[in-house]
Amino acid sequence: MTKVLVPTVCPYCGAGCGFFVAVERERAVGIEYMPDHPVGEGALCSKGNASLEILHHQERLTSPLKRKGDGWAKMTWDEAIGLVARGIGEAIREDGPDKVAFLASSKCTNEENYLIQKLARLLGTPHIDNCARLCHAPSVVGLNRSLGAAGMTNPIPDVANSRCIFIIGSNLAENHPVISRWVHRAKDAGAVVIVADPRATPTSWMADIFLQLTPGTDVALLNGIAHQIIKEGLMDREYIAERTRGFEEFEESIREFTPEKAAEITGVPAEEIIRAARAYASSPASTILYSMGITQHTTGTENVQAVSNLALITGQIGRPGTGVMPLRGQNNVQGACDMGALAEFYPGYRRADDPGTIEFFSAAWEAPALPTSPGLTATEMIGAAASGDIRAMYIVGEDPANSDPSSLSVKSALEALDFLVVQDIFMTATAQAADVVLPAAAWAEKEGSFTNTERRVQWSSKAVEPPGSALPDLEIICMVARSLGLDFDYPDAASVLAEINRTVPQYAGITRERLAKEGGLVWPCPSCDHPGTPILHSSGFRLADGRAYIVPVPYRPAAEGQSPEYPFLLTTGRIALHHNAGSMTRRSPSLIGRAPDLFVEINPADAEKLGIGDGDLVDVSTERGVAQAAARLTEGMKRGVVFMPFHFPGTNILTTEAADPEARIPEFKVSACRIARRN
Amino acid sequence: MAFYVDIRRCIGCRSCEVACERVHGGRGHVQVHFVGDSASVPLFCHHCEEASCATACSFGALFKEGERTAFDVEKCTGCGLCSLACPFGVVWTDKIAHKCDLCDGRPEPTCVATCPADALSTDFDLLARRARSRAARAAAQGGRR
Ligand code: SF4
Ligand code: SF4
Ligand code: SF4
Repeated sequence: MTKVLVPTVCPYCGAGCGFFVAVERERAVGIEYMPDHPVGEGALCSKGNASLEILHHQERLTSPLKRKGDGWAKMTWDEAIGLVARGIGEAIREDGPDKVAFLASSKCTNEENYLIQKLARLLGTPHIDNCARLCHAPSVVGLNRSLGAAGMTNPIPDVANSRCIFIIGSNLAENHPVISRWVHRAKDAGAVVIVADPRATPTSWMADIFLQLTPGTDVALLNGIAHQIIKEGLMDREYIAERTRGFEEFEESIREFTPEKAAEITGVPAEEIIRAARAYASSPASTILYSMGITQHTTGTENVQAVSNLALITGQIGRPGTGVMPLRGQNNVQGACDMGALAEFYPGYRRADDPGTIEFFSAAWEAPALPTSPGLTATEMIGAAASGDIRAMYIVGEDPANSDPSSLSVKSALEALDFLVVQDIFMTATAQAADVVLPAAAWAEKEGSFTNTERRVQWSSKAVEPPGSALPDLEIICMVARSLGLDFDYPDAASVLAEINRTVPQYAGITRERLAKEGGLVWPCPSCDHPGTPILHSSGFRLADGRAYIVPVPYRPAAEGQSPEYPFLLTTGRIALHHNAGSMTRRSPSLIGRAPDLFVEINPADAEKLGIGDGDLVDVSTERGVAQAAARLTEGMKRGVVFMPFHFPGTNILTTEAADPEARIPEFKVSACRIARRN
Repeated sequence: MAFYVDIRRCIGCRSCEVACERVHGGRGHVQVHFVGDSASVPLFCHHCEEASCATACSFGALFKEGERTAFDVEKCTGCGLCSLACPFGVVWTDKIAHKCDLCDGRPEPTCVATCPADALSTDFDLLARRARSRAARAAAQGGRR
């Protein structure tokens, strides 16, 4: 029997590693690496290696289901689509289109996300969003404002060209493991690595300078670094004069922000802040990589802005080895945002409140009555569901019941809806609350393009058939749209991409034919003969007079602080063996077998005071609820801070809903908590 | 062929474990160990020149074959002597013995190909070059780093 090798893109993180699925007798039997792949050179982390385990998994959804008493009844697709059309249609007719909300998925392809947002908007609702809201909404808002584009500025392998790598709020060694090979390559050539994180992680093992700050004090740290850079005259005056605006106000705003003051707030010694400032500013090419440790704060947008300020005042942007690098969490979170599955943006980051946008899409889609204002964000939708302002929801490939903060109230909000459709590959906690559950195809069971964190658009091919009667999201969305009277005539992903080529300027030259090449194309790619743009901002910025904007950012403390009742700060994050809400990795035997339980990391000195030993079961409580976890004592944890991974249902019971006022991202990284040993 | 670990690079992601298990029918021959909170190291067969496992095996199931310490499933009785004999604890016996076979039949050991951090390699010169440049830098800085 011959084996066929089908090229696909890893369904987990935003690094976008490619690999071949080996197919024999219509089953995925193995993985072959792709040594020429630009991001990982063939390497895959544990999740990539385990990815096939979810394809033929016994718990896959194989048939449309409707709620029947306490259980579920199977139904045909005809019946299912009829039910969905009736449920959504009735809500629109009776309550109005703005009582219906859609959640697209940063796990789905670009084509699918494009269609989901188009469906929502053609139905007249502005409420479309995706879980980027929970990871990089501040990057979208902050970087669009300061740099005029919201992507990573440089490619991942370009990190090897850097001579100072500043990693803040990212545990990339666990969460985007392949990036560490490029960090090490730079280190081999003499690069200095700075890591800022409240906890020691495998990422900080790579560090020359480790800044162990208190959660929520990033702006203070970054302002302190900027202050020192300016004080020592290490900024790039020429760059500032030619390429930026706002420097004077910025300089004024941090005049008082000495490293000593920053040290007081962050808990990082002033000397370390000074060392970091010198290394970053004086190296010939410095890059900043950041992730959710920067964004998941009530000051998320300000944190992002503070990061880009550093790059701008030192001119560490627009050249090889430099840049501002938001590392996106999911395989297609960049693409879902590019495709306009966001409350405030139509495809291509055209603002929803700009009349020009509405004019353009009304013409392109031949739709006279598009919603003309920003909609509710992913987290606001849940609040609106609870208050009755949203009556029906259609959720594709997301699990807010596990991934949103304060998850106990999320579940009751979902249950309060008149009608909920969930489309997924497994019966998630969110799907449990649905009226109709639609079985979807996983990544290797369909085709389409995904955009990784470096803006690299790659085509992923279909390797095997979906299980049972599961269907690709694209087909399901088209069926639903047609039954709601819309003209969704897309025979395949390529035909949707052709429309994207016409409506999203950044993707104009990214055609199906050109994506046949391994490694894909990096947007912006404005025409069919354009090679793509791996490095952004090399000749100015797409903002007024081509200048980037240095924005003063005052330091504000996190929403919650330590108190006598809740004396610890809980911060959350990810571990190497799991991914996000865990619906896939917790079902993957080789991953869950290695990391089976929820744990909480605590400093041994703190633990001793509480009589907690390594491995003890503890209750972690916040104002929102209690979760059980096994204590893990580690010197790597800052005193007064505890850490829990959010791949297990317990963690987000605890987290706060307090959100960034602008980007609406919840502050997953700081919740005041109490911890006690269970008897 | 032998392969080498650059412990400085290992990030403890356990991809080598998962990949090895994947291509060996669910039984992996690598184990990643953590050194406190500050380092991790994958442990696997060193394919010793003087292999004590092979010496201990009375049935000829473990034997040297060029650079490799090879294993013949047919001859293994599952007695477990090799597990006791190996000074590194990297032969395991459950019913029969199993250990690293250097991914016989593949162009490169799977763990080497998959290691995201580029910590494993079959190229001794590469490892030596990295170690020497680290040593040179440390000497220049007058420290031990
Ligand atoms: S690094 Fe990310 S993309 Fe690469 S294999 Fe791991 S999860 Fe997949
Ligand atoms: S795959 Fe590489 S980095 Fe990961 S644990 Fe194994 S040796 Fe270490
Ligand atoms: S199994 Fe142990 S004794 Fe035998 S070759 Fe490998 S490391 Fe050496």
